[in-house]
Amino acid sequence: MTKTRVLLSLKVLYLSLHLILMVFPLYWIVMTSLKPKKDIFSFPLHYWPQQFTLENYINIFKISKFHVYIGNSLLVSVLSAVIVIAISILSAYVMARFTFRGHKQIMMAFFSTQMLPGFVSLAPLYLLLAELDLINTRFSLLILYTVGLIPFSTIMLRGFFQRIPSSLEEAAMIDGCSRLGSLYRVILPVMLPGIASTFIFAFVQNWNELFAAVMFIDSESMKTLPVAMNSFIMKFDVDWGAMSAGTVLSVIPTVILFAFAQRYIVEGLTQGAEKG
Amino acid sequence: MTKQRTFILFSLLPALLLLAVFTFYPFFRGVVMAFQNYVLFDLTNVRFIGFQNFENAFNDPKFLYALRNSAIWVVSSLTLQFLIGLSLALVLRRGFRGRGVYQGFVFYSWALSGFLIGLIWKWMFNSQMGVVNDLLMRAGLIEQRIGFLSDPNWAMVSVIVANVWYGIAFFAIMLLAALQSVPAELYEAAGMDGAGAIRKFFSVTLPYIVPTIIATTLLRAIWIFNDPSLIYGLTNGGPAGSTHILSSLMMEKILSGGDYGSASAIGVIMLAMLMLYTVFYLFVTKSEKVGDF
Amino acid sequence: MKALKIKKSMQVAVSTVAVASLIAACGNGGESTGTGSNGSGSGGGETVTLRMIESLTNPDRTAMLNTMIDKFEEENPNIKVELISPPFEQADTKIRTMLAAKQELDVLESRDLNVAEFVNNGYLEPLDDYAAKWSDFETVTSVARAVGTTQEKLYFISNGMYQRQMFYRADWLKEKGIEVPKTYEELVNAAVALTDPANNRYGFSFRGGPGSNSVPDTMVRDYNADNVDLTDPNFLKSGATIFSTPEAKAAIELYVKLYKEASPPDSVNWGFQEQVQAFTSGVTAFLLQDPDVIASLQNDMEEGTWSSAMMPVGPAGKALISAGGAGWSLASHSKHKEEAWKLIAFLSNPEQNTIFSKGYGTIPIHSTAVEDEFFQSGPYKTLIEMTNLPETYLNFKATVDYPANGQWGTLNMETGQRMLLGQATVEDTLKEWDNFWTKAKEAVK
Repeated sequence: MTKTRVLLSLKVLYLSLHLILMVFPLYWIVMTSLKPKKDIFSFPLHYWPQQFTLENYINIFKISKFHVYIGNSLLVSVLSAVIVIAISILSAYVMARFTFRGHKQIMMAFFSTQMLPGFVSLAPLYLLLAELDLINTRFSLLILYTVGLIPFSTIMLRGFFQRIPSSLEEAAMIDGCSRLGSLYRVILPVMLPGIASTFIFAFVQNWNELFAAVMFIDSESMKTLPVAMNSFIMKFDVDWGAMSAGTVLSVIPTVILFAFAQRYIVEGLTQGAEKG
Repeated sequence: MTKQRTFILFSLLPALLLLAVFTFYPFFRGVVMAFQNYVLFDLTNVRFIGFQNFENAFNDPKFLYALRNSAIWVVSSLTLQFLIGLSLALVLRRGFRGRGVYQGFVFYSWALSGFLIGLIWKWMFNSQMGVVNDLLMRAGLIEQRIGFLSDPNWAMVSVIVANVWYGIAFFAIMLLAALQSVPAELYEAAGMDGAGAIRKFFSVTLPYIVPTIIATTLLRAIWIFNDPSLIYGLTNGGPAGSTHILSSLMMEKILSGGDYGSASAIGVIMLAMLMLYTVFYLFVTKSEKVGDF
Repeated sequence: MKALKIKKSMQVAVSTVAVASLIAACGNGGESTGTGSNGSGSGGGETVTLRMIESLTNPDRTAMLNTMIDKFEEENPNIKVELISPPFEQADTKIRTMLAAKQELDVLESRDLNVAEFVNNGYLEPLDDYAAKWSDFETVTSVARAVGTTQEKLYFISNGMYQRQMFYRADWLKEKGIEVPKTYEELVNAAVALTDPANNRYGFSFRGGPGSNSVPDTMVRDYNADNVDLTDPNFLKSGATIFSTPEAKAAIELYVKLYKEASPPDSVNWGFQEQVQAFTSGVTAFLLQDPDVIASLQNDMEEGTWSSAMMPVGPAGKALISAGGAGWSLASHSKHKEEAWKLIAFLSNPEQNTIFSKGYGTIPIHSTAVEDEFFQSGPYKTLIEMTNLPETYLNFKATVDYPANGQWGTLNMETGQRMLLGQATVEDTLKEWDNFWTKAKEAVK
């Protein structure tokens, strides 16, 4: 009895310690964002603002079009994640269900993309997109984000497909569905948690992307959130007040999404981890 | 059967076409640059120079230092992320009330960008206004502020701490999912044989989650090795290049000097290393199933 | 129902991709959107869209430029200007890449650091002919003309001049009864006296990170004083580098002392952000910086706690100073050169340039504007005083003509950090610097 007690209290202790370590940086950024500029750089450090102010938040909307950037980031991130899922479902399904000549090589091609150091491609990509007249269009980010995520999403979704017995769609096909039809109507609903977790992964990657957005977008009206955040790093100082306010705003959507969907994520991955 | 072949072809076409045009083609063009004198400073002078860029890299103490750092960075980050992630997953495995909320609070770091995490920790590690120094001083653990980001002995430790903080969530999520899918009857059977908790872990749990461990550690190692964004945000390789890893060094070659030739050469060397690593890793772990999560 | 929704979005997605792959496959551009191409209207009333990019970006400065551009557009209803403002840290990389790929660009901000590179690659249009017909050019100071001139031609109209001066904590010096230092010796002694690590106070806002070369370069020049070739300031009149002399060793030893005894240990890694922040947040007493920090100081510090002074001088009582600058260039591949020049001339006219200088904290480029009360008082005053003492403060021409100039900062930072951290000796470090410039000179010959 006491042994389980000790174990339980150890567990609680461990979890609490972990919680503090994980939450503290976020707490500190939130506090920094609510302090007036004078207090951010004053000794001694205060762990609770002496006066709360929203000036940092008001400021970032005043000096830059933060609502526009948030909108742009949302648009590109969501749209790209949707396209990624659409394309990857098809490729993952085929890679999971069929064996054919070149199957192994294609799998390797998908996997090898994960190893390519991104900066090697930067200049050639710029030239390519310049030739295609896509510089400074949302389309450029949409394509790059999508392409960047297809391989990993395919690998992930393929794992989920492998866990679903093919008898499911065969039954549907006997009922007169086409292959695609059975895929939509029968398999996808079963795989929803897995798709959700892949979607979230894709969304988060896009939402955070910085360098392509800096290089390929010129116009203010198309700028994304990470680029705007990066603008607070100036020649002489980092505007930590604005930076923390921006960080808080940029973290909110991902944290909300994560909080709502994490049951799905774990469930989806669990489903994926079951040995077929 | 042709119908099936058409279906296969058309299903793979969008993915493969996009990858060919926007991933492989630019990458190979970039690889060509590795054999050229390609410096934006003087574009009138672009020419093929054979293996000169590679030679320069291996003769550059900076490169060798970054090579060493890359090894330290990957091994220590990965080991710590994995062990802490696994322990967290094990503790979280038995549900408790409020676990969902708890997970939301400890897993969110996974949803931030490396660059942003670099900045957040830069702010916290700041030797003057940094909260880490302030906490250590208040706790009486240190007398003098530590230059976490300016002392070469501390700087690498600092970037690794930030990186571990960042990556625990990924392993915890993946391993938790794997743990939850271990069939209960296996434990019952082991219990009948009189196995205790520790033996259960080694004889039932571990073998069952090994494929997940192999896949996650393999991929994660590649990502950690390739992603310079956290270091870029936190130290930008400083002080005196003491926190440069290969990928951040490559980035610096481009951002500060516009030297695409040298940068691509480093990139090609990195790719070669990763390929060797992957083949070796899969051989040692006898895993055929890359990417089975 | 749900399945239907998914299906719909799938169809949209797939068709989007199909279109994309088609475009990619044919290798010719689709409809270009968003790039400001001029409407191919008919005849006289057509609108031209100029694209302009800035380099030293910060949110306030961008807002200021936008205000100026609005006024320009008001005066020139048939010209539209699209301002591109990349984040400061990646701005120059982006400008380089755009130029290399011949992306549409009319006006760009060149810096004294990279103008040689741009000229080298043929990116910039010489401005001499335009300037000759520009009435406001008469009042542009010779310093401003010089900074924009490379290889005998004018390539940018400076948008403001930078010149180092000393900022100090007036209240701390008063408290301790310390005089404002006039020489480097005095500066180091004052800084050491004000250093109190226990209270997190240090004498000097040291900068060992990016841009670290400015203080050692300046000190070595001041110690070599009259022997320095003012037209080639990293070399002596004898042709040897300034780093090869015993005076250089004395200067650098003092510089190391300044770090070890009067600066935060952390500062070996500081760039200008950290350096300025330490000063504004009350950690350090002395800061050597350009006037564009003044806005930060005014914003973040109590009035009366700080002040400015002339740069310290070397043992011979002399200091070598140089004005730096960034400014507006005309892209050589611009399709609207006349309109682009119109914009440059507008931004550079006395009225606009003065507004910009006051807002951003630089010295205006027109001799008429320097007489403005604003620049004759407060923190700017000491800058003007220095220019009025040509015997003490010798003007030199910065070395923008050396292609190696771009790599000097990085090399100096890395070798300098090694020296400051005790991993290399002063002699060895000076030898490396000496070698670097000797080689740089050979490369030009």
